[in-house]
Amino acid sequence: MIDSAPADVLVLERRLTEAEATVKALLSGEIDAVVDPRNNSPVLLAIAQQALRESELALRKSEAEYRQIVESTTDGIIKIDRVGVITFANARLAEMLGYTPLELVGTSLLEIVAPSERPAVHRSLDEREHGSTIALDTLYRHKSGAEISVSVAGSTLRDDQGRFEGLLGVVRDVTERKKLQAQLIVSDRMASVGTLAAGVAHEINNPLAAVMANLEFIEEGVIRLQSSEPIDRKTEWLQEQIADPLRDAREAADRVRFIVRDLMIFSRSSSEEPKQAVLVNDVLESSLRMGWNEIRHRADLVKKLGDVSYVTVNQARLGQVFLNLIVNAAQSLPVGRSSEHTIHVSTYQSGGMAVIEVRDNGCGIAPETIGRIFDAFYTTKEVGVGTGLGLAICQRIVTDMGGTLTVTSTLGAGSTFRVCIPTGPDSCIEPCIAAAAQVSSQTGRILVVDDEEIIARVVRRSLGAAYDIMAASSARAALDLIEAGESFDVILCDLMMPMMTGMELHKVLLQSAPDQASRMIFMTGGAFTDEAHQFVADSSVGHIEKPFSLDVLRSRVHDFVLTRQQVT
Amino acid sequence: MAKLLRVKTLSLRLRLYVAGNGPNSVLARANIAVICHREFPDAFELEIVDLLEFPLRALADGVVVTPTLLKLEPSPMQRIVGNLSDGPQVVLALHSA
Repeated sequence: MIDSAPADVLVLERRLTEAEATVKALLSGEIDAVVDPRNNSPVLLAIAQQALRESELALRKSEAEYRQIVESTTDGIIKIDRVGVITFANARLAEMLGYTPLELVGTSLLEIVAPSERPAVHRSLDEREHGSTIALDTLYRHKSGAEISVSVAGSTLRDDQGRFEGLLGVVRDVTERKKLQAQLIVSDRMASVGTLAAGVAHEINNPLAAVMANLEFIEEGVIRLQSSEPIDRKTEWLQEQIADPLRDAREAADRVRFIVRDLMIFSRSSSEEPKQAVLVNDVLESSLRMGWNEIRHRADLVKKLGDVSYVTVNQARLGQVFLNLIVNAAQSLPVGRSSEHTIHVSTYQSGGMAVIEVRDNGCGIAPETIGRIFDAFYTTKEVGVGTGLGLAICQRIVTDMGGTLTVTSTLGAGSTFRVCIPTGPDSCIEPCIAAAAQVSSQTGRILVVDDEEIIARVVRRSLGAAYDIMAASSARAALDLIEAGESFDVILCDLMMPMMTGMELHKVLLQSAPDQASRMIFMTGGAFTDEAHQFVADSSVGHIEKPFSLDVLRSRVHDFVLTRQQVT
Repeated sequence: MAKLLRVKTLSLRLRLYVAGNGPNSVLARANIAVICHREFPDAFELEIVDLLEFPLRALADGVVVTPTLLKLEPSPMQRIVGNLSDGPQVVLALHSA
């Protein structure tokens, strides 16, 4: 007993140690299985753990799948906590912003939001606690500082108790889409401006024709008065008091005429963009007049226009290119101190090319940006000044003409833009040189067909001395006269009239009175339809543009009557 | 002398109870193999018993959890419970009388 007692104690102690070790092993998870001695079979913790491991593997697998989805999506995915700290960012979002996902996690959402949008985002974060979904367009900031337009859609995250935990958002880069939208808006606006300008030009040309012709008529009267003897006090008064204001009024009217004509050049944008042989220098002069307002406060203008052949292009587009280059040159110079700056505009012929150069001695273009100036939407001008479309469009237009638009620039010394356009064979268009007015003793009958009675009155006033003038206020009325047996040497007819146009009248007369049809001269005031444009361009009929000078009107009518009389 | 020691140490007889390929069982098997080859090269006998195949043997040996390592010889019998990751402790237990 005495001997066995320590042995028993030893055994007990050992069993106790073993039990403790077993419990410890159980607690630390080092056990796979436990045997239940009561039914002689092991209860397998092992199986439980195996199952646990399997479910863990399955979980990891599905997590990997989700991760793959999240990382391979083309949208950015962001998760922020309730105070706006980023807790997750996928690779796409990081790429969009120029960071790595790790750089983004832990920073504030406000860090990646453009400064201008921060107050709004901050405010909406506060409100988010109550909402459940998000849909907003905002601006994020790339690591480089560039702003990115994004569209964010997502939802609020809540815990089991419904407490606000943060936000999960899908971020889509819509910068390109926004640019396209802006482009559409701009071209849309340009189209409406063009349509509007064409309409305005047409509306202005009729009264302007009357103003100009009447002014000219008065001037002629004054001149006649001056040359008549004897000079009494009234004549003296007229010379002193009327001649100068009259000349000023004519100059002003001339300017209106140029403005309207320039507007029309820019608004003539039919779907086919008709091409014609144009004189480069004429188009350039017209653009210079339009851009003069921009130039005159900033620089002296030096023109050196050489002999350049015709180019066969769309005149409106060429004018647009020139105006753009001129305005750009002007805008590179500060307002004021115009004597210190010069804009050189020169043209010359080089081989088969017409070369047009616009040179300024302004700020020049930095070497790092010169490669981008022809990119659409690239602009260094302030918001509202430039759309960044001008040069891009210019280059496209010039390229379409088979030409080139190039630039050379020295920073601080100025830039030179050079347009080269292939010159076509000298063709159809002869410059219209107004023949000297010949108010001869020639007589004839003239019918004026115009819905603007003021035009008929002007024609009567200026040609009434030499011709027998009749007026019809509509094509219908003219047709009635002719059908009633009236016959005319010249029919001056407005092209665009309500009810029945000049073209329709011409068509009817071709059938019923071909001789009268051949005596028509069309007066055009702009706002061409494609059909009208074709009519004037293709047809052998004569036409005269409103507003016209009396000299031109007289010489055209005179020539017309002369040729007709020779023919008959 | 060395021969005598070898004869003496040859008497290390071990039985490891495992449960299939449970993670701790796999670990215990690997650990004991390493320990034996390093500490008792060529002087041990190791039997591995799978509890899943021979539950009654485990009961007979009074093994209630796996992995359990039994040091059968030299006596007294020792049992070490767990995956035998604590190498020095295991070696100490195996050397102890």
